[in-house]
Amino acid sequence: MRLSRRGLLRAGLAGTAATALGGLASGCAVPTGSTGRNMVLWYWDGGLGDTVVKNAKARYDSTVDLQAIKIGGYYRSKLITTMAGRAHIPDIAGLKGEDMASYLPNSDQFVDLRTLGADKYKSQYLTWKWEQGIADDGTMVGFPIDCGPVAHFYQYGVFRKAGLPYEPADVSAELNTWEKFFAAGEQLRKRIPGSSLVTDVNSIFENVVNQGSKRYVDKDRHFIGGEEHVRQAWALAVEAKQRKIVSNLVSGTPDQLSAVEDGKLPSQLGASWATSDLKTGVPKTKGRWRVADMPVRPANNGGSFLSITKACREPEEAFRIITWMMNAANQAQGFVDAGLFPSTPASYGLKTLRAPDPFFGGQDTMDIFGPAAQKITVAYNSPFDIALGQPLKDEIKNVGVLGKDPKKAWSDAMSKCRRIADHLGVSY
Amino acid sequence: MATALDKPPVSVGSPSTSSQPKSGFRKYWHLYAAISPFYLLFLCFGLIPVGFSLYLSFHRWDGLGSMEWAGLSQYKYLLSDTDFWNSIGNTLIIWALATFPMIFLAMITAVMLNSAVRFKNVYRFAYFLPNVTSVVAIAIVFGSVFSTNFGLVNALLQAVGIDQIAWLNTPWGIKIAIATLMTWQWTGYNAIIFLAGLQTIPSELYEAARMDGAGPVQTFFRITLPMLRPVLLFVLVISTVTGLQSFSEPQVLLQNTSNDSTFAGGPGHSGQTMVLYFFQQTFDNNDFGYGAAVAWGIFLVVILFSIVNWRLVQRRGED
Repeated sequence: MRLSRRGLLRAGLAGTAATALGGLASGCAVPTGSTGRNMVLWYWDGGLGDTVVKNAKARYDSTVDLQAIKIGGYYRSKLITTMAGRAHIPDIAGLKGEDMASYLPNSDQFVDLRTLGADKYKSQYLTWKWEQGIADDGTMVGFPIDCGPVAHFYQYGVFRKAGLPYEPADVSAELNTWEKFFAAGEQLRKRIPGSSLVTDVNSIFENVVNQGSKRYVDKDRHFIGGEEHVRQAWALAVEAKQRKIVSNLVSGTPDQLSAVEDGKLPSQLGASWATSDLKTGVPKTKGRWRVADMPVRPANNGGSFLSITKACREPEEAFRIITWMMNAANQAQGFVDAGLFPSTPASYGLKTLRAPDPFFGGQDTMDIFGPAAQKITVAYNSPFDIALGQPLKDEIKNVGVLGKDPKKAWSDAMSKCRRIADHLGVSY
Repeated sequence: MATALDKPPVSVGSPSTSSQPKSGFRKYWHLYAAISPFYLLFLCFGLIPVGFSLYLSFHRWDGLGSMEWAGLSQYKYLLSDTDFWNSIGNTLIIWALATFPMIFLAMITAVMLNSAVRFKNVYRFAYFLPNVTSVVAIAIVFGSVFSTNFGLVNALLQAVGIDQIAWLNTPWGIKIAIATLMTWQWTGYNAIIFLAGLQTIPSELYEAARMDGAGPVQTFFRITLPMLRPVLLFVLVISTVTGLQSFSEPQVLLQNTSNDSTFAGGPGHSGQTMVLYFFQQTFDNNDFGYGAAVAWGIFLVVILFSIVNWRLVQRRGED
């Protein structure tokens, strides 16, 4: 078959026109949501507690047919595509914390939860978490599910052998600045040759950025990734490399796991959900771990939201369901089911959460995570943060792994950011 | 669509075709109807998305909100985007590192399979198996084969007295690891194709060569290789097409070494292929307009290589 260029162009144009027409037609023809009786809920594996979902189904069975669907694969892109297609949109949609920034500018796709009376629940939730679910225009898009307070996981025996503080209270008190944390890393390396305090420089860089109240792009669409707060995180990461407290291993690889198991990597700065990674990744280390406060102040990493989409026919009913699923008792159940750290401080005192954890040598980890979760600062998450944070993370990785000159890496990151900012319409 | 097919098209009645029986289309409509499903599906799932992606590439779109006209700015940025050029370079290097050893090994395997008498089918099956194994599973296995402290490769290197290499953490190590994986996966498949080619070579040629006193090496280079040229070109074309689209191999192999983004392709983006870069821009950054422009950039690179391949095939027709 001969295909002329003109023919191709013509076909392409026809296709485009057909798409535009199709788009118009679908606006009124295809059912956008479910009927009032059906209530479709989208979430991902581990996004909600199984028991909570099951109980919600039973509880609201008389009024709605709640269909909770676990969506596999790349969740955000599936949700966005479905919403852009304007058909079969779920009534209630889980939103991952790291994706929030990309949903918030499109708050018109969601029901403003304040119009349903969300404000009266506000006092029960962590303030910073509540604020994260609200768009710039004041629309409340996301209702808090869980959060991810970051703490310092360490191996008790190794710290003790290295002559470092080893009781959680002492570690929290004595390793409370980055300087002391790095000094501890040097001492560890001296006393136990071949060991490193942390896996890579990125864990330092990203945790320091996460501790702050500013990230890479501000509310006015201005690039702030070259300012003091990022420079400081960068400098600390470089210092960690220069003082040789980071390993040359890669997180999650068999090499790293075996180093963790051998006590050669006795420390990690991880969010509350990292406990389950440790339990499944290095089960043999059971009993050796303890949790303490991370240096300086706690940070947040992860945590998600529930939203009601514009396609929902029964927003009031949907709102009743999510507020029930996210009450303090069910959040505690979510923690038991899936390790979802509650965003309701009232849960922290509940008996189900207050249990000595044998994996942590009988420590009650809620003593660390609970107070940490309440001390987190709110940072503005821009939809451009992912694109403009990536060059910095890439370049600090080059410093850490490939031994690139930090000055050169910084200037490369900045020139890359300038180019990307220009392209995305972010002022530099 | 269906109603349009039922009616005779207007052009049938035009003066130039009026000498032919007027009912040309009417007579054969059921044949057209029979082949129409493919074209309808192609229209829906091929042509329309392709057209839409072209339209998209002239816009800015975050996937949900309203589209914003961007003119040629996405393409202008694409031309100056060092990361995109880097990804083209990576793709080509990995392709070359994978394809040439693969063709060499496949050829040897095919010649050996051709002469082996016993268990021929068992061997064929065994060599074909990697090709139908899930890439994700292979990549996970290769991830541990190439791991620094406990990997098989480093164990072998150390056995012969060479220092261990952080394969998945150095620019060349990453490329070699991906290329090795692709070689392993495709050698058997191509060996089977070569084998089919070998079996079409008439045995008289070999007999004649033997009569004239040609040794096995001479026979291979003077008879087997020239006769296999069309098959060789086919293999080259197929491996170019698959090689230029490599995605799962680096994605799964390097997802741990790529911080935050699973599409970053490891330190220094050294394993970021064109398609990975496309995914990163589109789905990590939610930059669908630019993603579409990148897709068209990839399309142009593939077209360029297709032309090169086509010229190679054409030349074969001339001699």
